Amino acid sequence: MNILRAPLVGRFLRWHYARPAMQCALLIVAAAVVWHGLFGPQLAPRNLATVLTSIHWRGFLILAIIAVGNLFCTACPMVLARDIGRRVFHPALRWPRRLRGKWLGVALLVAVLFSYELFDLWAQPRATALLVLGYFGLALVIDTVFAGASFCKHVCPIGQFNFVASTMSPAELHIVDRDTCRSCRTSDCIKGNEKQRGCELGLFLPMKVGNLDCTLCLDCVHACPHDNIVLSTRPPGAELLERGRRSGIGRLSQRADLAVLAVVFTFAALVSAFAMTSPAYAVEQRLAATMGTRSEWPVLAIIFLVSLFVVPALLLTGAGAISRSFAESRSTLRATVITYAYALIPIGLGIWVAHYGFHLITGGLTIVPVVQSAVVDASGHALLGGPFWGWVGLQAGAVFPIQLGCVLLGAVGSLAMVQAISQRDQPSGPAALASAPWLAVVLLIATTALWILSQPMEMRAVSVLG
Amino acid sequence: MRVAPRAQHRVLTAALVLVCSLSCLAGCRRPDPADAIRVSWTLDPSPPVVGAPIAAHLTLRGADQKPIPGARLRLEGLMSHPGMAPVIAAVIERGNGGYDAALRFTMAGDWILLLTGELPGGVQFKKQIEIAGVRPAS
Repeated sequence: MNILRAPLVGRFLRWHYARPAMQCALLIVAAAVVWHGLFGPQLAPRNLATVLTSIHWRGFLILAIIAVGNLFCTACPMVLARDIGRRVFHPALRWPRRLRGKWLGVALLVAVLFSYELFDLWAQPRATALLVLGYFGLALVIDTVFAGASFCKHVCPIGQFNFVASTMSPAELHIVDRDTCRSCRTSDCIKGNEKQRGCELGLFLPMKVGNLDCTLCLDCVHACPHDNIVLSTRPPGAELLERGRRSGIGRLSQRADLAVLAVVFTFAALVSAFAMTSPAYAVEQRLAATMGTRSEWPVLAIIFLVSLFVVPALLLTGAGAISRSFAESRSTLRATVITYAYALIPIGLGIWVAHYGFHLITGGLTIVPVVQSAVVDASGHALLGGPFWGWVGLQAGAVFPIQLGCVLLGAVGSLAMVQAISQRDQPSGPAALASAPWLAVVLLIATTALWILSQPMEMRAVSVLG
Repeated sequence: MRVAPRAQHRVLTAALVLVCSLSCLAGCRRPDPADAIRVSWTLDPSPPVVGAPIAAHLTLRGADQKPIPGARLRLEGLMSHPGMAPVIAAVIERGNGGYDAALRFTMAGDWILLLTGELPGGVQFKKQIEIAGVRPAS
């Protein structure tokens, strides 16, 4: 099904100003977040900055990814700001070769998640507003100095998260007729033309596979003079089984940085959910006592280092080594680990959906009283009525079955992915044996996630070790 | 990076005006008479435990340290994380500037007690009390 030909939605998406319209809407929301974060009440549950970012933005971002695709990047207001900036400052440099790839993005994603826990950003409206301003500033500086979508492709931590998650999306931009592309002499989809820029992320549509590095900006759709690009439905995750070279990415099996991003994405889902539970604080206090410190950052650094790098490295290299010996494989341990690392994405996404979905379902209605209150703050009058502070959402207990379903669905997806990779790589060999250690890794992650979700919640924002 | 000089000048001027305006807005806050009110409080039991009944004892004093009786107060418990259900408690005056409220925290962690109301004389009043480390039920 081509979504671009669907009634209403398709017509809107094909409209040349669809993306700027969505970006303007989110820019207004971002402006409200910054204004209320800086000048509104510094009480997280009563401030637009913390409520919108922690509850609604994260929730809708992940729901959009599993329902359609990378819609946040489509509507990203930071790209609108940099487009305006580029009317004044024209970038002349290319992004440095040494910084290409996902390593910087992985480091920044970890840094953002670490800062979120260390500084309790969910409880800090002013810090949240400053973080949003920082994001805008960074995007503006980078993209007015470096050409193309350097910020999106190499830097933006949100973008890297979205790229990985959108490999599980049910829709993808791709060409319709290969012969039309073969006969095309202008390659407008990547080069652009006088009316429309081409893909700034370097994805040449005839060779594009999947959603990795695709911001769903629809520039290629508008640029193609042959109307040969569709946004069509597809089996989620199928792109992770493609072995061929893909435009702008290369071969997945040769991209250690992308594999590490997939692993960090998956294990960060566990860490992020664990950080909200009572046992997390017990672990922090025990670690702090062992280390003889009352400072939180070294304790958190150890937790992040162990759970995002040490444990995954041990688990995956162990599984890779066993898998190779079972399958009598001739591929290297590194290649085996990279190949199977992508199979963790479905379970990782399942855990993120369970976590962010929980906040959206249990706290989604808080936007109503917080907006009412923000209107009072802005105008001095209750133009939308007095805040309905009782509006919150479903009770936490009612959401647990949904969370359970998300994790189980993710686990089934990862198990199927492991099996498919084994059958692809061992067509005549012992595929079941080769996949066994990876199935065990997926089950271990799923069991850990279910244990975390069943723990009593605890939210700290003062001093954990004080 | 190539720059169009006139456009750059315009953008920098707009940015300067914006920064100055925001700074003025931030600095233009009138003193609030309610700022002089001091609230002392105790919780029983302390530290509080999730699900257990908690008695909050509050005392209101003015700038001159004299107790303030006759205030109409409302106490609301908010989680530090947005999107969590608040806990609302009725506040009963027990005399000599002292007030009591019965609470039951629904989640472990850090809570903020938001005390709002009206003082004798009609002055609107709002204070935040941070409750660190509500213990999980064992």
